Amino acid sequence: MSDHEAIRTLIGKSCLALDDSDFAAYLGLCALDFSYCIRVWSPELRKDMIWLEHDRDGMAGLFETLPEHLQRSGRLSRHVSISTIETGASAQEFVVVSSVVVHHTDLGGRTQTLAVGRYNDTVIREGGAVLLATREVTLETRDLGIGLHVPL
Amino acid sequence: MGARDTSSWEQVPAAPAEHFVSGLVYSDPDIYRDESDKIFSKVWRLACHESELPEAFDYRVFDHDGQSLFSIRGEDNVVRTFLNVCSHRGAKLLDQPAGNAKSITCFYHRWTYDSQGGCTGIPRASGYASGSVKKEVMGLREVRTEILHGLAFVCMDDAAPPLGSHIGSALDRFSEMLTGQPLEVFHYNQAILDCNWKAWHETNMDLYHEFMHVVLRQTQVNAMPMEDRKRIVFDGGHGGSGGDLKAAYDGYEGFAGRGDDVPPLPGMSATDFRFVNLFPSTAIISRGTVVRIDTVTPIGPDKALLEMRGLGLKGESDEHRRIRQKHHNQYWGPFGRNVPEDMVAAESCADSFRNQAGRYQIIARDEKMSGQDDAILRAFYAEWGRRVDRDPGAPV
Repeated sequence: MSDHEAIRTLIGKSCLALDDSDFAAYLGLCALDFSYCIRVWSPELRKDMIWLEHDRDGMAGLFETLPEHLQRSGRLSRHVSISTIETGASAQEFVVVSSVVVHHTDLGGRTQTLAVGRYNDTVIREGGAVLLATREVTLETRDLGIGLHVPL
Repeated sequence: MGARDTSSWEQVPAAPAEHFVSGLVYSDPDIYRDESDKIFSKVWRLACHESELPEAFDYRVFDHDGQSLFSIRGEDNVVRTFLNVCSHRGAKLLDQPAGNAKSITCFYHRWTYDSQGGCTGIPRASGYASGSVKKEVMGLREVRTEILHGLAFVCMDDAAPPLGSHIGSALDRFSEMLTGQPLEVFHYNQAILDCNWKAWHETNMDLYHEFMHVVLRQTQVNAMPMEDRKRIVFDGGHGGSGGDLKAAYDGYEGFAGRGDDVPPLPGMSATDFRFVNLFPSTAIISRGTVVRIDTVTPIGPDKALLEMRGLGLKGESDEHRRIRQKHHNQYWGPFGRNVPEDMVAAESCADSFRNQAGRYQIIARDEKMSGQDDAILRAFYAEWGRRVDRDPGAPV
């Protein structure tokens, strides 16, 4: 499998794992020093905001506590279109930019668009595998209704 | 006592009148119109924090009572507020939610205004032959604006008493926190909720629902004796924490050590929890190192616009700001552990009251102004009833 094919599969699997609430599988796609961040530009404040930020342990802790929380019912579906894959700071690193659309389907089967944005990922080649080293989600959507307990 | 039949379900609760609220207050269109006429067009409400207008000519656009307004800092450093409406044909003047405009130009016919609301230019003014249309009399409609502890409030009613008489002493316990060092808004988000505006505001007045939040069950409910959690209400329907509540952050995964790594806000310790709800629709909530300010704006009987701000110390290091953002996001914001749960609750109750499946909201907890007493809710509805001239328990 080429690097590009492996990266496309990695990004796709990361979405499916979150869609399926298979958080162990998601973390299995992440490097040990993985970091995750959701950034949003506020035209009201004319500033960049951070809405969620965790390292790998923080993500694991977040996932662990999820079952105890009162959450939005239904299911999320993350749809990704990879726009660019470029070599990063080293030959073992890739910078991947994707468009992402997240839909929410409620318990009655009604689907609505919840959010649009981008994944700005850094992917590293480690051993024979490619792993997510960083994921920065930049959201265009700023009204997420009742909000979320899970990463996008 | 088992399940109730229709008659029992629909009958007025056998309780003191101030201990329950009819579900109609969340859904009835006539009540909604009364609220607009008798509350939101008469009472002071929060527009923004001063830090959102740091420079001369900075402006912030916001909606209030179905109208678009903007607050702008003038060259004289005074913050003024105007209807966001051109005097000529009514076009909206400012489209962006924030910006800087030394001169405000209407896109439609290029009429111009200054930051004090004066009309400064009318293209080809000579065409108004009668002379009644001239820039000297075509200024913007100014809306009263006052600033208290860095918070800019507006009031649509030119004859209303000043802000100080509306707020009274309700913000006194926040004075040091809000003014001890300059604060800055670092978080802002909006959400349109499928609920009446009061359903959201109630989530900030009701401590009993701590049990809904796993974070609060594990960090707050048992952090101090219930009888030591003091509550206070003020004239005018405001109410909040009388003394500080405490949080024991070690109780929740990932929260341990919260506050050890960044200075608390002035007058607070990292484990303090302090809140005040200002009538009609603003809440100020501090968790030691950060403060959140909610403003909820009605946009229909069962739809409300919620604005949430997070504030930290102005001029602090990037490292401290990042930590403070983390503290904010642990509880609040669209991905916080608590706020989405509150939103689920507000919309869930609204859904029941919308079609009158739910008939009454019970606000009868009496714990002598401590614990999880409903006194703040009762004070709010007493003021609400006085303003709209309706009994909250039997409003129609």
